[in-house]
Amino acid sequence: MDNKAIVKFCKEVGCCDICCLRYLGLKNPATYENYKEYIHKYTESGVEVENNSEEQQITSNPVDNINGNKDVNGCDDEPPKKKKKISICVSCLGILQEENWSECFNMVKETLEKKRYECSTFACALSAPIATLLRDKAIILHLSDAFKDYKEDTLTPLKEAWKWTFGVKLAEQIGMTLDSGAISPLLITLNMEYPDEPQELEILKKLSPSLFQERQKQRRRFTVEFTRPSVEQAMDKISLEQLKGVDKWNKIPSVDIEAKCVSAMCVHAPSYLGGRYIKLSRELPQTPWLIKGKRMMESSVQEILFEPIAKVFDLTPEDVDHRLKFMSAGREDVDVRCLGDGRPFAIEITDPRRDLTGDELKRVCKEISKGGQVIVQKLMHVSRNELSELKKGEETKCKTYEALCIKLGNENAEPNILNGKTPVAVTEEDIQRINEYRNTEAGDEARIVVKQRTPIRVLHRRPLLTRTRRIYDVVARRVPDYPQLFTLTIRTEAGTYVKEWCHGEFGRTTPSLRDAAGFRADILALDVTAVLLDWPRPQ
Amino acid sequence: MKTMDFNILDSIPDLDNLKTFTERYFSKRYLINVDGIKNNDMMIMFHSNRIALLSLAPSHSFFSKDENYKINFNIGKIDRLNNSVKGKSKKGGQLLSPKSVICKIEFSDESVFEVPCCMKGTLVEVNEELVQNPLLLKNMPDSDGFIAIMLASIAISEATKSELLTHEEYIKCIDCSVNKQ
Repeated sequence: MDNKAIVKFCKEVGCCDICCLRYLGLKNPATYENYKEYIHKYTESGVEVENNSEEQQITSNPVDNINGNKDVNGCDDEPPKKKKKISICVSCLGILQEENWSECFNMVKETLEKKRYECSTFACALSAPIATLLRDKAIILHLSDAFKDYKEDTLTPLKEAWKWTFGVKLAEQIGMTLDSGAISPLLITLNMEYPDEPQELEILKKLSPSLFQERQKQRRRFTVEFTRPSVEQAMDKISLEQLKGVDKWNKIPSVDIEAKCVSAMCVHAPSYLGGRYIKLSRELPQTPWLIKGKRMMESSVQEILFEPIAKVFDLTPEDVDHRLKFMSAGREDVDVRCLGDGRPFAIEITDPRRDLTGDELKRVCKEISKGGQVIVQKLMHVSRNELSELKKGEETKCKTYEALCIKLGNENAEPNILNGKTPVAVTEEDIQRINEYRNTEAGDEARIVVKQRTPIRVLHRRPLLTRTRRIYDVVARRVPDYPQLFTLTIRTEAGTYVKEWCHGEFGRTTPSLRDAAGFRADILALDVTAVLLDWPRPQ
Repeated sequence: MKTMDFNILDSIPDLDNLKTFTERYFSKRYLINVDGIKNNDMMIMFHSNRIALLSLAPSHSFFSKDENYKINFNIGKIDRLNNSVKGKSKKGGQLLSPKSVICKIEFSDESVFEVPCCMKGTLVEVNEELVQNPLLLKNMPDSDGFIAIMLASIAISEATKSELLTHEEYIKCIDCSVNKQ
């Protein structure tokens, strides 16, 4: 392949220096960083002079602008100078031309200033106008026609060349290290828009009428007419002859207005914190409890956990709603405490300014625990993979409960005997009966297998099902000074509705505690004493 | 603070003011003389989440009749025992209007009375246990002896709840009718 001839050809078509290197298929980042030096190598002396003079024009003008000479020009009467604008590259629409970068730098700086990331590296991404696809393809067709051995896949993608040139300069400008997206948590995305794009893409309808007619017909499915895939599909089979047949496209059309940066988006990869919470209140739901938008309880575990984190990151209540997400291995009812080592949970922080330090995590724990309703002893950073373990744990873990129950009367006694003064008392035989009860074969690791219909309290939002759940162990004890009361230590499979097992829920859970005890019983209070899931595990 | 310090025994409530499971979660509403039939008195227990349980009110003539009985959920064209619901929205449940019959109570003296459901909605579940153990209805009408579980839209259940008699209003009505006699 005659590189010099290709560069000459591209220059004549109207490509910028960097695009010339792209059409040569060069893929060495260093080449792009020093593109001026390399383009010199590939330029024939004759062309070189011509080009250099052009380049001088290109570089001199924006410098004037930057130095504020524009104002001076503005008040004088030299209209010809205005016409001498830099020629915008017909391939990248000016995206790779250094003269256009200052606006982009400013937008990135502005966004970074607002978001105040404390991150030393970044990755960058370009959202380029779709018209660049069309123009790349057109130039490739012309090149393949002029050079028989030119391969279509030679072209180095715009995005790559942009990273190697713009990205490197951006790093200098913002004082951060450019890294790959796989490594740096901070991603800066520049959105470039080309004002003439809609008119320019119209020609695709002529080149590939059936495709766009079909899309027009299925407007519901294809809400946007021109998308990257549709444009690529439309151009796939186009020949140079077809292209030349469309008006203005017998050669590559010049560009009147360059693509402009319309937004610079900065996003930091989410941060995940893992820990276990202990809930000491019987008047605290796990998540905000709202009925028709009205708050039923003052606070919630979630809100208590979020508060100090919001404080560290200066989050407004709206930010908290959007950017903090609470996940846990199951949940307990409002009036159930969660004791022991607590329940595993994680918090996802979207777009954090930085990761919290060990000291800060300790301080967050202290803040959470200070109110006395929720205690968190340790918080740590966890990976995304570990989150799935947390979620899986919701189905597989087993739990231990402590229940306070009351004996209501013998099986066939009058119902509704329900106060401490009735002569009903839990006997040693009652305790023994409960502790020996089983409805499974001896040797089964579960003593009791129960069938539970979806409890009425959640039936309005869950399907009606009958679930089989296993109770591994139940140990009953009498309560000193309270003859009618007894406690139960219950070890169950995840998903067992313990309260319903205790009171039987109108016979909707069978067998229930009544079957084990031989008397009707009710539950007065419940604590979760252990959630048997080893999470999060310190690294 | 150590969680060791916490024990279920620190949560013993005032045993003189305990509420039953029904009292904790349901509010009872009543209809009297349904369809103009004297003492055809019904009770609907609304859970705070609008699920409604149908049963007979304590003043229903059923409770004063000392006769063996059976509960028949086959009400002619439809067998309520075949009711099945799918998914969160309880699709496929039998549709109910206030006059729909949920079951028949058939006495050994061959007298029969029909139990109306008293509200518009979807039948979620009938208490199948009543077929085997009909005494539950007599002994525990407001717990294990409930007849059916129904679900209505928020609007309908709110409206029904406010139209029906509260417990206080019901007691007053019953006292009046007793005094008239």
